[in-house]
Amino acid sequence: MLKVKNVTKYYGDLCAVNDLNFEVKEGEIFGLLGLNGAGKTTTFRMIMGLLDDYTGEITLNGKKIDYTMTDKIGFLTEERSLILKLTVKDQIEYYGVLKGMDELTIEKKLDYWLKRFDIEEYKSKKIKELSKGNQQKIQFISSIIHEPKLLILDEPFSGLDPVNVELFKEVILELKEKGTIIIFSSHRMEHVELFCEKLLILVKGKTVLSGYLKDIKDNYKKKNIIIEGSIDKDKIKSLDGVINVTKNELQYKVELEDKKYIPKVFKAISNSDNITKFYVEDATLNEIFISIVGESYEQ
Amino acid sequence: MNNKLLYLTKISLNKKMKTKWFLVANIILAVVIIGLINIDNIIKFFGGDFDNNINILVIDNTNEVYDSFSNIYNEYSKQLSTNTTLVKYTKTYEEAKEEIKDKDDLILVINNDNINYLNANITANTYINPTTTQLISYSLDSIKNNLVINKYNLSPNIVKDLNNTPTLTKTILDTDSTNDTNMDIVMNVIFPIIILPFFMLTMFLVQMIGAEINEEKTTKSMEIIISNVSPKTHFFSKLIAGNTFVLSQGLLLIIYLVLGLILRTTLSGELIDPNSTSFVTEMYNNIKDTGFLDKLSYIIPISLILMLITFVAYSLVAAILASMTTNIEDFQQVQTPIIVVSLLGYYLSIMASMFNGSIFIKVLSYIPFLSALLIPSLLSLGQIGLVDVIISIVLLLLTIHLLFKYGLKIYKQGILNYSSTNLWKKMFKAMKEK
Repeated sequence: MLKVKNVTKYYGDLCAVNDLNFEVKEGEIFGLLGLNGAGKTTTFRMIMGLLDDYTGEITLNGKKIDYTMTDKIGFLTEERSLILKLTVKDQIEYYGVLKGMDELTIEKKLDYWLKRFDIEEYKSKKIKELSKGNQQKIQFISSIIHEPKLLILDEPFSGLDPVNVELFKEVILELKEKGTIIIFSSHRMEHVELFCEKLLILVKGKTVLSGYLKDIKDNYKKKNIIIEGSIDKDKIKSLDGVINVTKNELQYKVELEDKKYIPKVFKAISNSDNITKFYVEDATLNEIFISIVGESYEQ
Repeated sequence: MNNKLLYLTKISLNKKMKTKWFLVANIILAVVIIGLINIDNIIKFFGGDFDNNINILVIDNTNEVYDSFSNIYNEYSKQLSTNTTLVKYTKTYEEAKEEIKDKDDLILVINNDNINYLNANITANTYINPTTTQLISYSLDSIKNNLVINKYNLSPNIVKDLNNTPTLTKTILDTDSTNDTNMDIVMNVIFPIIILPFFMLTMFLVQMIGAEINEEKTTKSMEIIISNVSPKTHFFSKLIAGNTFVLSQGLLLIIYLVLGLILRTTLSGELIDPNSTSFVTEMYNNIKDTGFLDKLSYIIPISLILMLITFVAYSLVAAILASMTTNIEDFQQVQTPIIVVSLLGYYLSIMASMFNGSIFIKVLSYIPFLSALLIPSLLSLGQIGLVDVIISIVLLLLTIHLLFKYGLKIYKQGILNYSSTNLWKKMFKAMKEK
């Protein structure tokens, strides 16, 4: 289990992370969210042992993370952390050896992963010759080749097309099944919703929301109603508790302040004779994120 | 952890040495060094005359003085190494002119003269060397003297008295005033075999370490590396790789030098051709004439020790500065002081003889980073002694100790710093941390 307890980190007078607390168990995927500069990278660096001048405690399976433990951690950074002049084989071998692996094992595993990601032909190519998406695949392989106990994924889908996003998802879920502790960070909330059971939102280093995704969504008052058919948009918009009504090609989306206003909306459209769909959905994580972060910034 | 240190060192060395640029640079260096050592042989191979030998076609219209003239001229010529050869020419002046067309050769026509016994004319296409003119003039004078002696039937004693040259000796009151010779030693011996290679290798070292660290920072691979090995291990790997690289490069330079000398011996049949005017011969003559060979036996080991320690100091400074910069362009600017200091040492060492062993130059030779460049010159000039060398080494080791102590703190902070603002403030702050 990864345990982050009462962690605070200052850069000079600036508080980068303020009293951070969370736990991630084996086989869990944890979302660490926040705007740029919220303290995510600092948190990752502290977990990786790159920063040690902080207060609080970070432990992996009860032990403080230091250089004797970093072989058990995989880190995929947001920016490309590959040496462009190396070949794919040399690059993976480089990071693999730093993770304590022997060169023979690295090559065997590399062959497996290159085949899995359908890029076998690039083994002897230099990193700089690869496309952005293929570079991301190599970076991903470098972070998982040593089968880490803890895997930190910072924007893992950056530069990938939808087909490869699916491939990555598949692998991440496999790792989860194998019991890997995964910390996931992305600005794409739909990706976070797909993976994370638990999440935490940071604003200026401070935790503004944390918990299980399901609980967060359940407890979030604002709901959306999806309606298919002809409605009087202005009439609905004028109802109490309705924040906004938007329309795409087929559907209306009615945003409510609270679920208690659902019956009123239902009553208002009940006279229409061509309603084919009416259902209530939780607010998306994206909406929750914007709302929470926006409010915190205003404060 | 030791395995990771060795692996990081290996990766750094491979990145530098397993490249086509390293190969190309070394091929060029090998060709230049071997070529310079054998420059006279190369010019001769391509049909040229390195020593620029000039034939003087002598048309002796008197039909009696050529042999005497030739004997006297050749004797003078040998003493002054003029690279001219007399050729007795029996065809016409016009034919001789055709023969020297497009050449540096000369025509000397010697005629009888009613008043002065002899007169002569020198013909050239473009240029007549004044030394050659003087030699011909002296030789003709001697011939003329002989003609006069024969004509008046002078006794051998009178001739001997006439020919005796008044003795002229030289006395220089300032016995230390040997600047010209010393300058020759520094320029011909110390500069090519010690100062220039050291300066070149220092630049290689600083560039390599700076480029390596900044490449890892720019690509953010530093994050991955430092999350697996401590900054201290990373720091040492760069120092070991950098110093191993320059030592290997230095060794390669020595190998090229030896290959050049072997080739020279093979081509010429001997290492030093006394008749050649190539720089190898000049260097050898300088060493031989000044008794410098004895000095080299201790100057070279001392210089090597100083160089090795100075390489460590330079690599420390380069690594510390590189850790604080965010890309290679920033590093190019920050490394300027290192280059300025090296250049200062470089020029001071060339001009060392001009300071006449003053306190100023002695003090400069104690300063770390300058000492390795200055001490070989000053030792060769006899302007400093072993005590001065020991002081320099102690100061250098002390500097290295301080660089290790405070530099590692800066390095730890610097390698994960991606901002170039308040650079010096951050450095000083890092130094104060425990």
